[in-house]
Amino acid sequence: MSAGLPTDSGKADVGAVFAALADPTRRRMLAALLRDGETSVPSLSAALPISRQMVAKHLATLDSAGLLERGAGRGREVSYRLRDGALHDAARWIREAEMQWDERLGRLKQSVERGGVRRGT
Amino acid sequence: MSAIREIEIEASPQEVWEALIDEDRRAAWLDEPERVISVTEADAPRRIVWQWWDDDRRASTVEINVIGVAAGARVVVTETRPSFPLAQLASSFALVAA
Repeated sequence: MSAGLPTDSGKADVGAVFAALADPTRRRMLAALLRDGETSVPSLSAALPISRQMVAKHLATLDSAGLLERGAGRGREVSYRLRDGALHDAARWIREAEMQWDERLGRLKQSVERGGVRRGT
Repeated sequence: MSAIREIEIEASPQEVWEALIDEDRRAAWLDEPERVISVTEADAPRRIVWQWWDDDRRASTVEINVIGVAAGARVVVTETRPSFPLAQLASSFALVAA
């Protein structure tokens, strides 16, 4: 579904996504991407109290977690946007884990209630 | 942020605990024969913590607390991936996933 070109890292790795999101500066950068759709090193370093070098470093971390796509940008400026579905992978892990636990806990309940003295009716 | 689920069981916390700590019984209700479990904490009859690995060999931590309630026991499971972001990101996830 993505119209943009995938980055080198391709599909997002859930563990790498969570690690990338663990840092408050990178979360602010993601918030800017969610809000503006597209960003670049100059616009991020204007918005955040960190150097261009640090912006580039954090962008590289987000990129290697598979969260970013590169856009055309203006002139020599490279623009970045969130890869479609990048955060879906993390959200999907949580939903799947919760569904699996519902099933397991249902089996645990059956096993314990069947094994013990029945209560009530 | 983690996956959190709970259930109430009509049995004492001790009865629930026996199904958590006994390896054969645990294997039966987990039904995950291919996953290796490493129990890191066991505080009878209240709390067990283990690490396990999924098909992609990624670790997650499972914490199960057993709380005595009027009806019997409440079992609360929290499964966490390492380096999880803070809970505040849950709303971003929901927005993006919607």
